[in-house]
Amino acid sequence: MTATNGFFERLTDAGQDPRFSNVCGSVRFDIRDGGHLEQWLLDIDHGRMRVTRSGGPATTVIQVSAQVADAMARGEVNGLAAITRGEILVDGDLSLALRIGRLFPREPEPPRRDDPDSGT
Amino acid sequence: MRDIAGTVACIDGNTFMVSDASGDVESSPATPVGLFAADTRFLSRWMLFVNGECMTALSVDDSQYYEVTFFVVPGAAVDYVEADLSAIRRRRIGPDLTESLTIFNYGEQDTELDVRLEVAADFADIFEIKFDIADKAGTHYTHVGPNELRLGYRRATYRREVVVTASEPAEFDPDGIRFKVRLRPGEQWSTRLQAAMLALRPDGVDLRSALRVQRPDESTLPTSLRAWVEAAPTLDTDSVALQQVYHRSLVDLAALRFAPLSLSGAAVPAAGLPWFMTLFGRDSLLTCLQTLPFTPTLAPPTLRILASLQGARSDDVLEEDPGRILHELRYGESAAFEEQPHSPYYGTVDASPLFVVLLDEYERWSGDTALVTELEQDARAALAWIDQYADLTSTGYIWYRRRNRATGLDNQCWKDSWDSISYADGRLPGFPRATCETQGYAYDAKIRGARLARTVWGDPDYADQLEREAASLYDRFNRDFWLEDRGYYALALDHDGTPVDSLSSNIGHLLWSGIVPPERARRVVEHLMGPALFSGWGVRTLAEGQRRYNPLGYHNGTVWPFDNSFIAWGLRRYGFTNEAGRIAESILSAATYFEGRLPEAFGGFDRDTTRYPVRYPTAGSPQAWSSGACMLLIRTMLGLDPHEDHLAVAPALPAAFGRIALLDIPGRWGKADAFARHRPDQP
Repeated sequence: MTATNGFFERLTDAGQDPRFSNVCGSVRFDIRDGGHLEQWLLDIDHGRMRVTRSGGPATTVIQVSAQVADAMARGEVNGLAAITRGEILVDGDLSLALRIGRLFPREPEPPRRDDPDSGT
Repeated sequence: MRDIAGTVACIDGNTFMVSDASGDVESSPATPVGLFAADTRFLSRWMLFVNGECMTALSVDDSQYYEVTFFVVPGAAVDYVEADLSAIRRRRIGPDLTESLTIFNYGEQDTELDVRLEVAADFADIFEIKFDIADKAGTHYTHVGPNELRLGYRRATYRREVVVTASEPAEFDPDGIRFKVRLRPGEQWSTRLQAAMLALRPDGVDLRSALRVQRPDESTLPTSLRAWVEAAPTLDTDSVALQQVYHRSLVDLAALRFAPLSLSGAAVPAAGLPWFMTLFGRDSLLTCLQTLPFTPTLAPPTLRILASLQGARSDDVLEEDPGRILHELRYGESAAFEEQPHSPYYGTVDASPLFVVLLDEYERWSGDTALVTELEQDARAALAWIDQYADLTSTGYIWYRRRNRATGLDNQCWKDSWDSISYADGRLPGFPRATCETQGYAYDAKIRGARLARTVWGDPDYADQLEREAASLYDRFNRDFWLEDRGYYALALDHDGTPVDSLSSNIGHLLWSGIVPPERARRVVEHLMGPALFSGWGVRTLAEGQRRYNPLGYHNGTVWPFDNSFIAWGLRRYGFTNEAGRIAESILSAATYFEGRLPEAFGGFDRDTTRYPVRYPTAGSPQAWSSGACMLLIRTMLGLDPHEDHLAVAPALPAAFGRIALLDIPGRWGKADAFARHRPDQP
């Protein structure tokens, strides 16, 4: 299973995300691998997440290569930088695209409390 | 708009052009002149020659921020006394640059003219200019068409282009445009030049096309400026100086509005020309706080965009943590390729508490509980960040120590230069550091968060919890930061908890936040208004007598109008109306020496010594929170405060102002007026 598939399956399993309780909208991911197109549709209804494989209409459409999608799913991509350099293409509601950036993983690390630096 | 000596700026949000007084741009790698959009220089050369001669300025009309008219003649300054030829360059900034060029022949001869415009585009990122980096990783390209000159830059999937066209027949070559013109006596010739700026995706879609939809034609900007000024309260006063600075500030705030693509047209304030023409968390939040009684429409989009980019995970390059509000957002090449951490950079410790402070203050003015509900999760996350991520030593304070050692900021408070936090003897403390004003903001955020939890979110338990936390922070802070022998608060705590004992303007912000016990306020105020801190033009960032004090030290002795406006607000909160009035009078008087435009900072020299406020060499101007300072000082003098559903007015004018009336102040009451007269029994 690719990282991308795993990512969407985890979203499906999670179902509800309280960070999105005031968010409604839909985001379609168009993922291209050579000539192959894979489409995922994420519906957000007040924090309730529903993921389907669909090419249906959406408020936000995100086009990426399969390679970039996998890197996103692994939490390795800075979405805003990638949009600015033309690696992630967003059509429609850009603010929703920025908001769902926080769905992509990277476990919060606890802040380090060790080795204070002394001054001069 | 002239600030860097001799330059003229034309601004529309984060799109701007800086040239010399004749309209020419001749940039070197390290000077911030040229045509810029979204942190990228799209024109680095734009020079007009007529018959081989460059132009000399006779006069410049820059009364509209988005339009500048240059009256010029060919030849060096000594030659033009008998000039037969003259020209007008009318430049207008919008999503793109347009410039109308008209040449007049007032001589008695038929004249053949060689009109030449030299054009170049280096596509420098604003940080390449700041750090004087001339080498670029990508490649430049040039296409000369029969009707256009197309200059581009490409690096992998990143592509930026500028397309120069003209309305009259012209010859295009890789270095510019040439017109052959014949003018009989009394004739004139015109052309309209355009430089379209494109941010192209690999599929050819221009990311900037949405901006052109927002500015469909040339009347959009003048109309929007008129509407902006009309929507703001009307100031009626006997002080010509105050009238001037108020109008200038209002117009400059309009100039600095920009509409990030993610907000579908809503505008937020860019921080300042030329280095900070983008969204900063701290600057935008403080600007919105200053301007709520005047231009409240800035606050909701600012809160929304900061919420949508709020930290969600932990990242040591961006210094991101869940709930953290961003410091700086950039769109240039260095951000796109993550050579600079600005996509976005989170290295600030005050934007998160200030986010909650603004949300509450905005609701108190507007009654807009819908926005408070919409942003509930974001506000809770910002409050949670204070205790879960910012307390690096588990001592109950907001601390900072940069995790991005290559490009992160040493100091993540508003005084963010490397040497801004020092002991009185000049030593620099270690890391982490906890500056005093940030603890005040945290206290205020908890108190205000509690109010929102109780009145809007329906969560009294959370409100109680926040109030308990605020009360214990208040006690702790007043134990650990207070220097009893000096009678003021330490600037910061060192990593081991030692108070950093410098006397600084930061203590004034503590009054604004309400973390000072009333019985200690008098001693704090005596320091703020004493000769070591108060220059006569305002409160210095660092007091005379501290080892690192320098009247031209960026954060170590200059006077910052924005800083003073919050100090004045704090003074009024504690009942020190005369002192608040003194600050208002001094800062607003200083503005008159800058044609009504308060710069980012000016020199901390004593008013008795220099008699005028000394310009700080690289101060940003216009600067959003300096424009906002004027608004907050007016609010302070009038004693404006929302009180349930009406506006309370408690005026206290210093002697410099006989009469101030502010009409049509917007708020939950609809529109209200405030009137004030100076009372002779006040100093």
